Amino acid sequence: MTECKYEGLIDRYLLHQMGEGERNEFEEHYFNCASCFAKMVERDEIVGVLKREKSVFAAEERPAIEARTTALHERVFAFFTPKQWALAGAAAALLIAVLTMTPLFRNGHSEFVMNGEETVRGSSLTLISPVIDINAVPAYFEWKKLGDDVEYQVSIYNGDLLWKTSTKDNTVSLPEDIKSRMIAGQRYSWQVKAFSKEGTLIAVSSRVQFTVNPAN
Amino acid sequence: MTDTQPEIDLDELVLKYRPVVSFRVRKALGGATPDWEDVADEIITQVIEKIKNGEFRGESSIGTFIYTITSRRIVDHIRQKTKVLRHAPEPSAFPDPHETVENRERAEQIANAVKGLKPKFREVLYLYYYKEMPREEVARRLGIPPRRVSERVNYALKLIKKDLKK
Repeated sequence: MTECKYEGLIDRYLLHQMGEGERNEFEEHYFNCASCFAKMVERDEIVGVLKREKSVFAAEERPAIEARTTALHERVFAFFTPKQWALAGAAAALLIAVLTMTPLFRNGHSEFVMNGEETVRGSSLTLISPVIDINAVPAYFEWKKLGDDVEYQVSIYNGDLLWKTSTKDNTVSLPEDIKSRMIAGQRYSWQVKAFSKEGTLIAVSSRVQFTVNPAN
Repeated sequence: MTDTQPEIDLDELVLKYRPVVSFRVRKALGGATPDWEDVADEIITQVIEKIKNGEFRGESSIGTFIYTITSRRIVDHIRQKTKVLRHAPEPSAFPDPHETVENRERAEQIANAVKGLKPKFREVLYLYYYKEMPREEVARRLGIPPRRVSERVNYALKLIKKDLKK
């Protein structure tokens, strides 16, 4: 016997899960379909009891159902259906196989090319001063030392590069001629790059902006 | 052309559609609303009058004709009540099975049938109907595919119906 396509909607109707349009359509249908109406009345009777008679689910059983169904491991496991877990497992195995096999098909080693902004290690280079607006032209610039045998390249910008120098110390003083070119109210920025003794770029600071406030 | 009106056996019509109209009205107004039966009666009377007056011309099915009258009357009733009560009556989710002794006995039968089910069926009914969780959520909670939830619900309902026929 062929099942009416509306039969599958009985629960949604009884549990008030339908939007207005769908509900109207379903209601019009059961005015015209004696089979669906009979099945709905029968289901409504059972669902009504299930909704009202809490006792049908033994009091001691309810927390057990809740606890069992919300256990963390079950929730994690139940994130996918068994079929989906199987597919995910197969996909992971395929990915591992591809990653393992790929180097075998390469001709020699790939070339590792770095541009001026890439670093070999992920060291962070922290600027100490100046990092906020200041009232006078800074006498020196300071950053956090990374280690011995590190050379720092300091650049100061006023839109364009104003001054650039290198040092093995973690501070640098501004030459007088540069100081004299820095004017109040102008926005400046500075950045430090660290190089190993082999000349490899190992860290780049962020570019920090500051303004020399006009004297009151 | 009134002579082409479809012939309708009114007694048969009332017998067939009274339960349908009553069900729809009770769902809309709530079984606890005292006048739902009066509204259902009014609708049936209205349907008979309209058919006698030749207002049903067979342009739609008789079911749709009665559904339309029912829906309009329900809306009118809620509007009237809204004017009086300042708010629409709250439809209750399900009719109270304790309305009559017969209903109470039937409810007890159903409850006993549910209690007699295996825990795996009771828990799916609990989550799906009592907690009103979507099928997918029940599936996640129980760690089974959604299709299996439907199968368990349908099988549990089948077992309950079988138990009721004993």
